[in-house]
Amino acid sequence: MRRDFLKVCGWAGMGLAMPVSQSNLVRAEPKRPEPYAGPYYAVFNASGGWDTTYLMDPKGVNGINRLYKDGDIVTRGKHVFAPNAKHIEVGMSNEDFYKRYGKELLVLNGLDYSVNNHSPCKRYMATGKLDSHAYPTFAALVAACRNPHSPIAFLTFGNYSATGNLVPMSRVPYIPSLQKLANADGVNGSSRHMYHDDFVQDRIEATLAEQAEARVSQARLPRVEQAQSTLYAAQLNSQALKRVTPHIPKDTPKERLARQAEIALASFKAGVCVSANLTMGQFDSHANNDPDQMRLIPELLSGIDHMLRRAEELGIRDKLVVVMQSEMGRTPNYNKGNGKDHWSIGSIMFIGPGIKGDRVVGATDEKQFLVPIDPKTLKTVKEGGVRVRPEHIHAALRAKGGLADDAFSKQYPLDVPNEERIDGLWG
Amino acid sequence: MITNRINPALVLVTVAVLTPSLIGAPTKPAPDQTAHADAHRGPRQVAIERYFRDELWAKVVESTCLNCHTANGDANDSGLILQDPAKLTPDKRSSAVHANLAAFHKVATALKKGESVVLLKARGKLAHGGEVVLKPGSTRYRILEGFVHRVTGDGHAPTKDVDAYDPPAFFDGVVMLDPQRLLRRVTLSLAARLPTEAERAAVAKGGLDALDPILDRIMTEEAFYDRLAEGFNDIFLTRGYDGNGEEALSYNHFGKTRLWYQKYDLSHIKDEKERKQAGYKLAREYREALLREPTELIKHIVRNGQPFTQLVTADYIMVSPYSSRGYGVFDEVKGKFKNVDDPYEYVPVRLKALQHRNGRDHQVTPTGYFPHAGILSTFQYLKRYPTTETNRNRLRARMYYQHFLGVDVMALAPRVSDAAAVSAKYDNPTMQAPDCVVCHKSVDPLAGLFQDYQNRTNDYGPRKEGWFDDMFGPGREGVDLPAEDRWRVLPWLGEQTAKDPRFAVAMVEHVWTIMTGRDVLLPPMDIEDPVFTSKRRAYLMQRDAIEVIAARFAADGFNLKDVFKAWVRSPFYRADGLATVVKHPRRRAELADLGLVRILSPEQLERKLEAVFGKRWGQLERQTAILYGGIDSKEITKRIDSPSGAMGAIMRIMANDMACKHVAVDLTTPKDKRRLFPNIEMDVIPGSSAEADQQIREAIVHLHAHVLGRTDKIDDPEVERTYRLFAGVVKDAKAKGRYEKLESYFCRGADGQRVPDPHYTLRAWRAVVTYLLRQHEFLYE
Repeated sequence: MRRDFLKVCGWAGMGLAMPVSQSNLVRAEPKRPEPYAGPYYAVFNASGGWDTTYLMDPKGVNGINRLYKDGDIVTRGKHVFAPNAKHIEVGMSNEDFYKRYGKELLVLNGLDYSVNNHSPCKRYMATGKLDSHAYPTFAALVAACRNPHSPIAFLTFGNYSATGNLVPMSRVPYIPSLQKLANADGVNGSSRHMYHDDFVQDRIEATLAEQAEARVSQARLPRVEQAQSTLYAAQLNSQALKRVTPHIPKDTPKERLARQAEIALASFKAGVCVSANLTMGQFDSHANNDPDQMRLIPELLSGIDHMLRRAEELGIRDKLVVVMQSEMGRTPNYNKGNGKDHWSIGSIMFIGPGIKGDRVVGATDEKQFLVPIDPKTLKTVKEGGVRVRPEHIHAALRAKGGLADDAFSKQYPLDVPNEERIDGLWG
Repeated sequence: MITNRINPALVLVTVAVLTPSLIGAPTKPAPDQTAHADAHRGPRQVAIERYFRDELWAKVVESTCLNCHTANGDANDSGLILQDPAKLTPDKRSSAVHANLAAFHKVATALKKGESVVLLKARGKLAHGGEVVLKPGSTRYRILEGFVHRVTGDGHAPTKDVDAYDPPAFFDGVVMLDPQRLLRRVTLSLAARLPTEAERAAVAKGGLDALDPILDRIMTEEAFYDRLAEGFNDIFLTRGYDGNGEEALSYNHFGKTRLWYQKYDLSHIKDEKERKQAGYKLAREYREALLREPTELIKHIVRNGQPFTQLVTADYIMVSPYSSRGYGVFDEVKGKFKNVDDPYEYVPVRLKALQHRNGRDHQVTPTGYFPHAGILSTFQYLKRYPTTETNRNRLRARMYYQHFLGVDVMALAPRVSDAAAVSAKYDNPTMQAPDCVVCHKSVDPLAGLFQDYQNRTNDYGPRKEGWFDDMFGPGREGVDLPAEDRWRVLPWLGEQTAKDPRFAVAMVEHVWTIMTGRDVLLPPMDIEDPVFTSKRRAYLMQRDAIEVIAARFAADGFNLKDVFKAWVRSPFYRADGLATVVKHPRRRAELADLGLVRILSPEQLERKLEAVFGKRWGQLERQTAILYGGIDSKEITKRIDSPSGAMGAIMRIMANDMACKHVAVDLTTPKDKRRLFPNIEMDVIPGSSAEADQQIREAIVHLHAHVLGRTDKIDDPEVERTYRLFAGVVKDAKAKGRYEKLESYFCRGADGQRVPDPHYTLRAWRAVVTYLLRQHEFLYE
């Protein structure tokens, strides 16, 4: 019985992870679900479009910024960033962020989103594919490739979160929700009073496993196969959520990103989560750009700081890859409402193991236009060169994560010719 | 014109032959377009036609040649004029396809210096106006070469992947849901209840044909209208506007009335705390009443059999006793209410032209009334999709296309070589840059139609500086807004919309989404996908069904109930299983979207629990609803359709808790009132006698029917499996010897007391119910 049970455990989840046109059992291997031990991925989304000239790509000329001049721009190591300590009330200043993380921070400036509308840009940034609704976000893809059996393998708090039908998405909006999930078989979540005696619970689980196994050989529609397999996996794998309990923080942070970070961190630490899509909105500063960005950028940096510090405390910092992105930049000029509109050129930042910090790749010129780079040397070039687009970033992320040759990755290929790859991005 | 889902609709037989089965000729599988078409021609011609349809047209022509080579296209004076079947009525598509094939045959066989003209043109030779369209060596070019080789008969071997798979008729081998289970599906889905005995008997006697009158009755039940409102809110998301409910009503026009509850006289409640609570309740219900108004409009239209075009043309809104106070029209309409204290009783009302609080900027209309345009002009809809000085109503235009014409203008935004450079190059890119104009010439005129509804505060009135003149002027699909309709722009838009064939199609798609929880199929885009043709076939089959239902919907007066009925009859809704295991990847891809297989939403699951147990669980609300894949209509707008471990945990909690709450209660209730165990008692012990085992198995058959909707015979393997669980638990308990002789402290009987359970049978039945509640048949539709 136990062997069969584990066999079905191996099947569990594969239904969702495999394309329905293929056998769901192609990759089935009996195995005992183990806690996922990393690496973990956290993707921070500055939803709405951040003003990169107030963070990692400062200008201070041509009327692009009203809060500082080019002479005020700060340099720390290889990083050049906009000063904002004097303009913020709460959150983390650029100065403090670079001071704390500059040595491990990789910045890429001059990212070409190609279009400048929220919806396609979000999709493009999240997946590396502009013209498809089918592609998974990077966070979902890495969860599917690394460990789709984790009960909340791909955790999302919003923003574009398509899964490509590779792995279920989980939404855990509040920290107390984790506690609720941890002891599903206990009365009111209690670990002392169980609904069923242990031998009864074992019988129920074994009968469900037996039923799942019996169905494998039945003629079923592909959607039914997939749904039954996924459902079985969801219930079975949910038992691993017990591991979260010791890591649930006693106090809930007030800040929205910190709350998301705590849920993600507890799940990472418990080995039940591979990736998290964190998000913070309101960056779409069509009116009053400067006050909005001075409020939001420090809040974003504070949230990232919270995650990194707490990851350190939890002992998983060395396994945590952090991606910081937005779906677009903001125009080099102010509109009549003192706002800035959409701009199809922006930036992205990374911190994590295997990422060489204190580096800036790519650039924009004094009018905030993209400057292409040589994909091999990563240096800016005047002639030729590559306009770095989301697919280049995603191809590099896949390579870094060891996903490039995974069947799931191949199911969603990226349009990046070999000669354009920027695999040296990580240093 | 922006086309909705690209529908090449390349059928080689007439749609008249094809369609009855697609929308529900119930007794026979659908005739297959491919098989049918292939019956009367020689194998070579069949091969050419299939190649043309599945390869050349689908992968090359649609995305390239068709952009110019039409009667109205840039290449209208060339030797290759094509017809776009998607823009033709179904009866003309077949001949168009044949004409297209003939046209391509001609240019493929024409030679210039020994080479096919069409290949030369595709490479930009022979002064091709479109210059280089296909690069030699590219996939698309190879497909074109393949066509040329086939029609010229030069011996080029057919490619294996194209010709090796001989698709069966589309629904061949697909098992449809039997009428009884279909009945249970629709009563649960649309009316939140189990079928009645009379309904079961009617279906047993009349089969599928008996379902229509039952559906007619179901669609008079209040639960259906709640489902309708919930389903359309999933699409329009009108409950998700920012702020409190009353903030849909602008301060400038309703400033004196929208906060009426703050001054409402509750002095008859002497206790201060109670009075405060009553005040909170009043505010809460008023806000809820306002949130419901847009979907109440939908309910009203459908309930009264009005044409569903009123969704965008109704010259009224729906108000309740509470919400009407917010508009200041309560005294005017109070005579229409049956109960003026019911916050959720709604009646239609026409608002008078809006009066501005400044006493000057009043709305002026020739009729003296506000120009309503169904949901389009409701303040809730406008507030849900707000605008700004820079957005200029473009969000509203986008949502208009998506909601009412089924077109996602942002779906596949064309890549611009350097969007930032384009922005900088032109003074006004949206009117000058070709890359931008392509969309903005449709979106911006629509945006202009919302010009009197400007900002987040929902103030009505024209912009002080006048509407923007640096964008395409107000209008719709190439038709300028007539000057005489300037005061009633949204009614004008609604009228235009109702006449647009895409409206009916979009509504049929919406009903599909409501019934299945997923969007209609999109055409596959990746021509390198080895199962592209199969996916495309699935897409076309579904698209045909949609168009046929839409055509009937429009022809028969836009009664939305007809659409529900048509989908229920459709094999797309009834597909339930396979006669034999399917392994061929192309066949699997064709069948990939078949079958309802929808995980129940939190709301649906609660309703199903109520239908089965008589009571809701009551836990799938707020945070837990979000955990269980629900939406808040604001930030979270898409339901999760595949359960994660987090959802799996909630399923376990639900199954444990519902079994705990109901099994002991049911077994301690008089038999004639039981839902779960009407024919067995706790003292029936497995293995004690053949009669006892028979009785237990019969009880299991009843449970399977009641909880899962299965119609098992007593010797069904699933009955045996459940029996083994029940008997196994009792046996294990006996083997352990030491167990409490009472059911759990937490799972009490009908009298609220702990229930004796000397043989452990009560707990074994609880295990059985827990097991059943965790199954696919229960948790999915």
